[in-house]
Amino acid sequence: MTRSSSSTAGLADAVNKAVAGVDDPEYPGVSIVDLGLVERVDVTGNGRASIGLVPTFSGCPALDVIAADVRDAASAVTGVTSVDVHWLASPIWSSDRITARARKALADRFTVAVGNDDEAATCPRCGESTVEQSTFGPSRCRAIHRCSGCAEVVEVLRA
Amino acid sequence: MTVLSESAIEYLLAFADDEHLMGQRYTEWIGVAPFLEEDLALASIGQDELGHAAMLYAIVAGDDDSAIDRLALLRDADDYRSSWLVEAEFPGWEHTLVRHWLYDAAEELRWELVSGSTVPGLAAAAERAGREESYHRRHADALVDALLGVPESAERLQNALTEVLPLALGLFEAVDGEAMAISEGVATAPFESRRSLWQARVAARFNGTDLGRLPAPDQDRRRRRSPDFAPLMARMREVYNLDPSAVW
Repeated sequence: MTRSSSSTAGLADAVNKAVAGVDDPEYPGVSIVDLGLVERVDVTGNGRASIGLVPTFSGCPALDVIAADVRDAASAVTGVTSVDVHWLASPIWSSDRITARARKALADRFTVAVGNDDEAATCPRCGESTVEQSTFGPSRCRAIHRCSGCAEVVEVLRA
Repeated sequence: MTVLSESAIEYLLAFADDEHLMGQRYTEWIGVAPFLEEDLALASIGQDELGHAAMLYAIVAGDDDSAIDRLALLRDADDYRSSWLVEAEFPGWEHTLVRHWLYDAAEELRWELVSGSTVPGLAAAAERAGREESYHRRHADALVDALLGVPESAERLQNALTEVLPLALGLFEAVDGEAMAISEGVATAPFESRRSLWQARVAARFNGTDLGRLPAPDQDRRRRRSPDFAPLMARMREVYNLDPSAVW
């Protein structure tokens, strides 16, 4: 590996790390990378960073905030000369993109379970299954469920 | 950015305008819907429709927010291509629910027509919207299902359906240049070609509705604005007009 390509790789690592440090505005402490919102990070030899993001759903009002946070984080990396942040038309986000680490943080800190298309979810507190009470909850990507075991109200994050 | 033909733009704007005004109409129920879950549902569903409108306007105008705003909010009334269904100001909740069911049943078919579109970004938008729409249809259908089982509610829904159906038929009216847009690969078939399938679904959902006696859709409504359009657009521009240079 030549000297310049290894330094490009080092810069790419630094940008990836900076982007991974951006939290979701709704869930402080949960990285947008762990939520599956970051599809690609490209850094060229002259320090131009291009970051492609995937929206959870098309009308999400947090998109501008997230893009601005990503731009700020990447711009702060030494050696980065320009940053382009864009929302990709594809792939389509689904809750399958959420990592185990984010699932645990959502469950432990926010009593939020991750659902999928068939709406099955598990109570973050007691592990029993939940029953949907309202398809639409406090935001477009969250439904309201109730646990069939401990009766706790559970927000279920889904596509 | 790809240069789109006039026909393609006309086709996309009609779709975007419908989604935009439909989204706005849903948001009017925030805080005043019959029960809390409906407040949340209509806020979320309206948000989706506005998101779909933004995707479609962006395909025409590019990602520049001010260009999207200009298309969405600042055209002359005569340049909008919305259907009268989404412009309509309805007196009651039952009309809103009926429109919700009818519109989303049609919207599903409309996205399917562009799911293989040659317009960059449109097929991906159709896939994304298609996922979101399944929640809308499930919501409208569950409510209609519950309310049709209650005699007073069923009567009110049927009466609302009689009033809303003629407007809903206008959804399928072609914009000028639709045939050209189809030949260019924007969509696979005229929206009108899906009307019989939609009517069959309406008839199956609302038992006893005689769709055979529906009036023929008025022509050219997409080129004329209904009386409800001007007050709606005035409300939509209210905040924007306070400071058109503001960055949100």
